[in-house]
Amino acid sequence: MTLLVLLFWLIVGGTLQAALPAWRHMGQPAFPILLGVVLYAALNKKARYFVAAAILAGLVEDALSLAPLGYSSCAHLAAGALAVLLRKDFFADQARTTSWFGALCAAVATGTLALLLRSKGLVALSGREVLWRMAGSAVLAAVLIPLLFGLMRGLERRLGTWEDRA
Amino acid sequence: MKDRRWIALCAIGLVVLAMLNLPEAASRRVKGAVRDGISPLQAGLRGGVRESRDVVRYVRGLGDLALENRALSEEIVYLRGEMRMAQELARDNQMLRDQLGFVRRFPNKLISCEVIGRDSTGWWQTVRLDKGAAAGVAEGRAVLTTDGLIGRTVATSARTADVLLLADPACKVSVRLKRSGEFGVAEGTGVKPGEAPAVRLDYVLKTADVQPGDEVVTSGLGGLFPKGLPVGRVAEVAPDASGLYLTARIELTADLGKLEYAFVAATDRDLAAAQVEPVPADVVLDAETGFLEGEAP
Repeated sequence: MTLLVLLFWLIVGGTLQAALPAWRHMGQPAFPILLGVVLYAALNKKARYFVAAAILAGLVEDALSLAPLGYSSCAHLAAGALAVLLRKDFFADQARTTSWFGALCAAVATGTLALLLRSKGLVALSGREVLWRMAGSAVLAAVLIPLLFGLMRGLERRLGTWEDRA
Repeated sequence: MKDRRWIALCAIGLVVLAMLNLPEAASRRVKGAVRDGISPLQAGLRGGVRESRDVVRYVRGLGDLALENRALSEEIVYLRGEMRMAQELARDNQMLRDQLGFVRRFPNKLISCEVIGRDSTGWWQTVRLDKGAAAGVAEGRAVLTTDGLIGRTVATSARTADVLLLADPACKVSVRLKRSGEFGVAEGTGVKPGEAPAVRLDYVLKTADVQPGDEVVTSGLGGLFPKGLPVGRVAEVAPDASGLYLTARIELTADLGKLEYAFVAATDRDLAAAQVEPVPADVVLDAETGFLEGEAP
């Protein structure tokens, strides 16, 4: 994965994430496309790509919302770090594992961001609403992230930049 | 090896800390640059979706065109009659105002914008418009559609503006009931599962005459929103927890889930700051009457 490919996915991911409506029935979580890019880097690439992806994805996400700069980067770093810790013990290439990883990391990212935003009084959500939203983002990620990984892997194979686990 | 890892961790920590503690002006610049960079893509994507939706609608509606045409012709006749009456009333109104020496307090100009995106995180109820400071859109301006008020601008970059929608709990508007003239504060309740975005009306006196179906308009108090813009209708009324006031649920007149176009109420100063030519009279909002000037000469 080159930096150019990473930037491409971040721009496309940010645009799509801001275009798709949030899921009203499960606490309004957005489709975690940018988180998917971060997880892809965390599970398949070297640490430097994961860190760059987490910081840049957070920057794009915060720029496209009312969140202060840096908050989403923290959430993405927390979720990605969890994925890096767990990836040694699981076959992260399988769709089912990717789905579970995605769900778990999306819940962690949402929880981290909720903590940060609530600590600054930027959102007024009850603990129950936050949990509901974490569950919502986990469900969305479980469905979306294996598909996104497939697309990203496909593009890398076409470009000839795909390499097995770093 | 361990040292290198620590150095890398410290570097990451520093980058994140720097981002978190960026001065407000620098943070705005960074956000603005990212927004402006992505806005052409967002506009393109939105345009593509709209085009395909129009094609589907066109194909689906082919069979009903004759019926629809007839219904529209009848509606045009009806609306022309209504418009003539409204023009008469507006003329009388203007004449009386001239005689009494009334001055327009909010001669806002409307900037037409396209909705190109939503909040990327889902934490706030916002939409993004395709025009920003360069077109005369400033922060804290009322944003409306032909159905009524939808929110206010909260962040602008050169080419985009974010609108905090009425349904967001952070959006508060001073409103008035059109029938009884009672004042209150409308506050967003967020989006509840399975419900349309709604607004709660607070601080209405317990003795006030509030009934379901009452029309709610902006009061003009506070100076942020022009007076008389339609907000919604009262759906339910009940005493609040303290028992001192009434609280009511308002159903919004504008559908916040299907926004495609919006108008920002800009002032002369906003347009002058952006060096934009004054807009023609047909898009000037007279907030005293709630009419667009061109419609009600």
